[in-house]
Order: sequence, then structure tokens, then C-alpha cells
Amino acid sequence: MLPALYNLARWLARDPADAEDLVQETFLKALRGFAGFEPGTNFKAWIFRILRNTYLTSRTGLAARRTVALEDELELDGGVYPEGAIERQTPEVNLMRLSDQAAVEAALEQLSAPLLEVILLCDVEEMKYREIATVLEIPIGTVMSRIARARLALRTALQERPGERRGVRV
Amino acid sequence: MSEHLGGATLNLFVDGELGQEEALAVNAHLAECAACTSLTLSQMMLRQATAKAGRRYAVPAGLKERLHARGAEELAGGVTLRKEAEASTQRSLRWSGLGWVAAAVLLLAVGTTMFVERRAAGRAESAALVTEVFDQHVAVLAGSLPPQVVSTDRHTVKPWFQGKIPFSFNLPEGLAEDTALDGANLTYLHDQPVAQLLYHVGRHRVSVFLRERVGDGAGLETSADRAGYHVMSFERGGLEGVAISDVEPARLVGLVKAIEAVQGR
Ligand SMILES: [Zn+2]
Repeated sequence: MLPALYNLARWLARDPADAEDLVQETFLKALRGFAGFEPGTNFKAWIFRILRNTYLTSRTGLAARRTVALEDELELDGGVYPEGAIERQTPEVNLMRLSDQAAVEAALEQLSAPLLEVILLCDVEEMKYREIATVLEIPIGTVMSRIARARLALRTALQERPGERRGVRV
Repeated sequence: MSEHLGGATLNLFVDGELGQEEALAVNAHLAECAACTSLTLSQMMLRQATAKAGRRYAVPAGLKERLHARGAEELAGGVTLRKEAEASTQRSLRWSGLGWVAAAVLLLAVGTTMFVERRAAGRAESAALVTEVFDQHVAVLAGSLPPQVVSTDRHTVKPWFQGKIPFSFNLPEGLAEDTALDGANLTYLHDQPVAQLLYHVGRHRVSVFLRERVGDGAGLETSADRAGYHVMSFERGGLEGVAISDVEPARLVGLVKAIEAVQGR
């Protein structure tokens, strides 16, 4: 569990010292709160939720939450990415860039924290939407829309560019 | 030919979130549609690529040992535990203090470009209040320190605040069976002293902040949602109240109405 926790902490905190603080606080809170953990429920989701809540009260977390407030407002104001808009906007991904790990890392780095955390929990931690909703304490519909927005942003960052067409195209 | 895959379906399919029947329908469509097949394939490859690139940071040398040492200290006994708890609370306070400045800067930077209308100022202020309320509630949930005054008795909680805050308030009796007062904290919102009442409704924790109403009220919109939490407010008898919880909104309304009803008596 530690490698997974540290990895997420490091992505979110974007700084090694802050990431270590975050993991340490999470660990201590988990120790103290372990009595409150119900056996049989999802331990992974539980501890990631502690990490996430700890992150929220941190400096970077607070700043990130400001972003999500604005984004959710946009969403409420009529939906930035309504169903169906995805395929019209879906840029073609350049497969060469997709296999270039540094390019994908750079694309991930450009994501806002709310989109980044949802995509890491989904793709790296292989959590189900329901689990992600539990960790992030958001409705499952919000999980879905953030995943859609995150992938759209990644595709845009990794898209085929003019004069860059030597790669295999999909 | 059946309909092309929508963006949501595409992700649900790629993430293995579709039920068996839906997945079969998608497969049937993919069998006859090259465009959707190509899109699905590239989305799967994207998922694979982020899974790989996302697994980026290895645990630094010595972190595991440091955690074990801290854990042992923690488990070693009461005094340490208490101190740790305080240190950690202070740290999160410091963190949120810094964060507040960062957030304010960000809010100004983003806010002025995004909303130039005056209405936006009110919304930003309201959003700032929601953020503060949210922080304090999360701090209570995450922290291990007990409330400053621990009591299920409203006759103990109310007098505890005498002389500590420049207003007084009333607490309701006869709440729903699974709803009870756990205690309270003296805290601050926008540098104004407030009473933070801690309730639980079933297994959900609720914070209700009461403060003296100033001017025409920094005004929170009646209700808001933040990261799965519901926030609602009321004004009555010179008091402004803000409640936050992840309990279902209808239950939160019930508690808020009960508290609101006894103010100004
Ligand atoms: Zn199709």
C-alpha cells in the first residue's frame, strides 16, 4: 500500500518533502483512526480517503480545491462537455507520443488536481468508479464527467500535430 | 447499424464499468463500426499509457523506516499520542493558513478574468466561506483531538461559550432518534469568533457554525455542495448559521431547521 500512497501523494503534492509529510500524516491518522475502520469494508478506499482528506487541508490541496469549485460551477452552468461532445472533440492520439513515457508524464502534469487524482485512481490504482466516488466523496456522475474531461485533456495534449505524422495513427 | 458510442459509454467500456448486456451491445456495434473501434482502441491504449506513466514515483529510501519509527512512538503511549495530535493539528492549521493566502491569490487571479460582474464578488466570498467551513469540518473529521467541550447535554454546551463569544444561542431538544450533539469548539470564520457545534446524524458527522450576523451578512447562498458535502445556511435572531455534512440533504435540513427554530427566543 505504501508505494501506491506515496505515488499519489507525490503527484498531488508535486514536491518530495510535501509528499512525505502527506504520507506520514496519513499514516498517523490511519493508526489513530484504525478503530473506526470497519472490517469487511474497503481498506484501500478508506486509507486513500484519509490521504485525500489530509491533502485537502494542505497548501497545494486548498489551492486545487479552488480550481474544482470553478470547474464544477462551469459544469453546472450548462455543461462544458455534454454527452456527445466528446467524440466531436476527440483529437486523434499520436501513438508515438503515447508510447513516449515522458510525453505522457508531461501530459499528466498539466492536468488540474481534480482531474489528475481521478485518472490516477482509475488507471493506476484500477479502482472502480464506485470506489473512486467513495475516496473523493463526490457523486459517481462527477467521477464520470471528470474522467471524460481528463481523458479529453490527455488526448488533446498527446494529439497528432501537423508535421508530426510519421507515427502510426489510430 | 446501431448508434455510435457516446463519450460516456466509451469510458465506461474502457474502464470495465458496463454491465454484461451493455458490454455485449457495445461489442456488437464495434464489430460493424470501424470508427468506433478505432476510437475505443486508442482510448484503451491511452488508459494503458497513463497507467504506466502514472506509476512514476518510487518510495524514497528510508521512508518506510521513518514511518515505522513514528508508528511505534505513536503506539507507545498516551503522552506521545496527545502531543502528536496537537502537533499535527497545529501543522494542518499552519498549512491551511498558508493555503488560504495561496487560495486567495488564485481566486483573485482567476476570479477577475472569469467573472467581471459584481455578482461574482458575492459568489467568491460565499465560495470562500464554504471553503473555510469545509476546512474546519474536514479538520474535525481528520483530527484526533476531542471537541473542546465534550457533552451531549445542551445545558453544558451553551454555558461553556459564555464570555468566549459576543453572542448567545439556543440549542434545540427533541432531535430525531439517531441525531445527537457530541460537543462543540470555539473557532473562527473570517476572523470572527464562532461556535462550532458538532452533531452526528446516524454515522454522519455534522458541523453547525453559529456566528453573530454583521452588516447585511457576508451572505452564503442558501446551500452549496463541496466535494460530496452539503452546506446550508440560515439567518435568524441576529445569528447566522452554516451547517455542513455528507449526510443526505433532507436529514441535514431537518437538523438545521430544528436549530434555526429555537434562535432569538
Ligand atoms: Zn460507431
